[in-house]
Amino acid sequence: MAIVKPEMKSYIWLETADGSIQEVEEEVAMFCPVICRELLQNGKGSSKNCAILLPERVNPANLELILEFCRFHQVPGRSNKERKKHDEKFVRLDTKTLCDLASAADSLQLRPVVDLTSRALARVIEGKTPEEIRETFHLPDDLTEEEKLEPLRNMTDDPRIRLLNRLYARKRKELYDRKKLKNVDVEEEPRVDERSVDDLLSFINGGDQDSKAARVTKNKKKSRGRKEQARNSSSNNEPGNNNKESNCLTSGCLNGDTSDGSSPSRNSELQNSPSAMFSSKLDLDDFDIDDELDPARKEEIDREVEDFARRLDSVWPERIQQILSLGQENRRLTPISMNGNGSMKRCTAGVDRG
Amino acid sequence: MDTDSDSDLLSDLPQSIIESILVKVPLVDAVRTSILSRKWRYKWAAITELVFNDTCLTSGHDKSIISCNLVNFITRCLFLHDGPIHKFELNTSYSPASPDLDQWLLFLSRKDIKELIIDIGEDDWFRAPSCVFFCPKLTHLVLVRCELNPPPNFKGFLCLKHLSLQQVIIPPHDIEVLISSCPLLESLTLSYFDSLELTIRAPNLKYLNLEGEFKDIRLENTPQLIGISVAMYMTDDIAEHFEQCSGCNFDKFLGGVPCLERLIGHIYFTKYLSIGNEQGNFPVTYQNLKFIELYQVSFEDMKELFVVLRLIVSSPNLEELQISSSSITTTTDIYDLEFWERDWPADCIFGKLKIVHMTDFSGLPHEIAFIKFLLGHSPVLEQMIVAPTIYVTDKVVKMLIDLLTFRRASPQATVKFIQEPL
Repeated sequence: MAIVKPEMKSYIWLETADGSIQEVEEEVAMFCPVICRELLQNGKGSSKNCAILLPERVNPANLELILEFCRFHQVPGRSNKERKKHDEKFVRLDTKTLCDLASAADSLQLRPVVDLTSRALARVIEGKTPEEIRETFHLPDDLTEEEKLEPLRNMTDDPRIRLLNRLYARKRKELYDRKKLKNVDVEEEPRVDERSVDDLLSFINGGDQDSKAARVTKNKKKSRGRKEQARNSSSNNEPGNNNKESNCLTSGCLNGDTSDGSSPSRNSELQNSPSAMFSSKLDLDDFDIDDELDPARKEEIDREVEDFARRLDSVWPERIQQILSLGQENRRLTPISMNGNGSMKRCTAGVDRG
Repeated sequence: MDTDSDSDLLSDLPQSIIESILVKVPLVDAVRTSILSRKWRYKWAAITELVFNDTCLTSGHDKSIISCNLVNFITRCLFLHDGPIHKFELNTSYSPASPDLDQWLLFLSRKDIKELIIDIGEDDWFRAPSCVFFCPKLTHLVLVRCELNPPPNFKGFLCLKHLSLQQVIIPPHDIEVLISSCPLLESLTLSYFDSLELTIRAPNLKYLNLEGEFKDIRLENTPQLIGISVAMYMTDDIAEHFEQCSGCNFDKFLGGVPCLERLIGHIYFTKYLSIGNEQGNFPVTYQNLKFIELYQVSFEDMKELFVVLRLIVSSPNLEELQISSSSITTTTDIYDLEFWERDWPADCIFGKLKIVHMTDFSGLPHEIAFIKFLLGHSPVLEQMIVAPTIYVTDKVVKMLIDLLTFRRASPQATVKFIQEPL
């Protein structure tokens, strides 16, 4: 039993994890379910020797706050408005104290304080960018750039995320173009490969010389056209230092095209459409970016884009090695499905049909 | 900020607090926490409440794209979620196509769903798949604009406490079965039903909220009902039906609710209750009824007046009364004002009535007589507020004069006359 001092409130003793012991009015402390239980069921807290041992996460500082809360609310006569006002003032604390208090209240099962602090912390988090949240709560920024870009995040509308995604797409486009450039260079040597199976057969069978020649020149023209186009688009890109991407998966598609010219016009259309789509897409993207952000922000983002590009470049060669080792075994791998690149898929389909 | 400890403030808090925080933040922000740090990657995926509303919409003008993005967002969230989902709320003006919605509901039925709220756009009323009926832990169900067809082997929601069906197409017999097969049901809301005949058997029901066109409502087994709110619309069919029906609606509806504390009636509610009601018959007393609000009471219809009087006389502990009058001042009948002298004994006292609020009054003889009656029989009345309808300006002065002359049984009664500025 608690010692009842005549005509005065009764007090009980609480001990925090660090060993300090406090005396508290019983009615105030009883507001906490855990303390209440210890007092009533286990009969503790009546004297300094058998003080109620509080859970580990309660330290004297947050215990004081909690007791202040209990002291206010255990008085029956207050109106709801008064209580709300008090609560709003009560949670005007810095973030560290809020987290601390939430943790202590949770261990004491004091639901009202847990709700209050959670709501305050939710208000802190809401509307902030990830960087700001990391700073406020001292969270380590330990995800790799790639992890950050995984589809998990495509659900958000954050302009920075869209920007990063666009950058990723731009990078992929760059690689693709460089592939094409490389392959066009390679193509010029074994020109005989461009002829279709029919052509070869007719040649073997001693077919029409003229038509054969005509076909060959047609193919030559086409390849030149392609080369020019590739050169045009690549001139837009920043000079990269990744010449190793000679055999990116996209090459499978290209090589397939060139070795099978049975429906040349269709293939060339398909061939041209991806790059056309890419460049138009890229134009759109550039347009979008400029439109949405004001100059100061744009500069900032440009800087970050550079930074990101550099970081990506450093990771890229390793990934390419991996892909290369897969790519060489099977040239005709279906390309990775890319964002909005139905065109890539159409390309492969065309090849398969041919 | 502090520089002494650069340690992580938030990540090591117990999951219950993290969940508590993340559910108070719009879902989009909660999902974004996945890129904060390694520990936070999947913390959002363990929250047990998912609320999808307009904060999840991407910006833009093309409705089909926004709708598509929303559907993708919901599907991906559900797919990435890990653990039980206790609450799922979908509240949007867009209408996800039926296959998507069906799949989500099937997924949720396997995840111990407890609270399910679906309120989607008006384009297509979705048809609730049968998996909704097999969510054993469901405690809260709110469905708006859908078609419900309970399958034949449906045994009921054994844990359901709160049921709200608004603009739902369901065979009438099935509603009754649905209600009576939820033994723990405490709160029932039915809105916008057409010509419904309903018998409600719900032994634990505490709050009843009805809105729509009801032909016949019977509260057969609702002994614990505390609050009733009814808004009754009328169509010609129903009016005809009323002419022919027998039995006293008042008894059928309010005959078995001894614990009633609050009664609210709108539009044609008093008219509904007046059918079959005989004057002077007060078999039931409502000991706990403290608040009565009746809107659109017609003071030209004696039967409706009887209903009001019956209610207040049967409620000895009534504290607050609010009545609004429906102002159809077309008739020039002679009013039987002697009724007030003749039929109400002087010892009819409203011993606890403190506040009376009358609105939309047009100065009809019965209205005035009613106010006089209340003033004269309420010894502890504190406030009588009278607000005339804005459509009547000529009788206002007469009303004022009359009010001044009435005898007040309560010495502290103040009579306020509120005139809305035109």
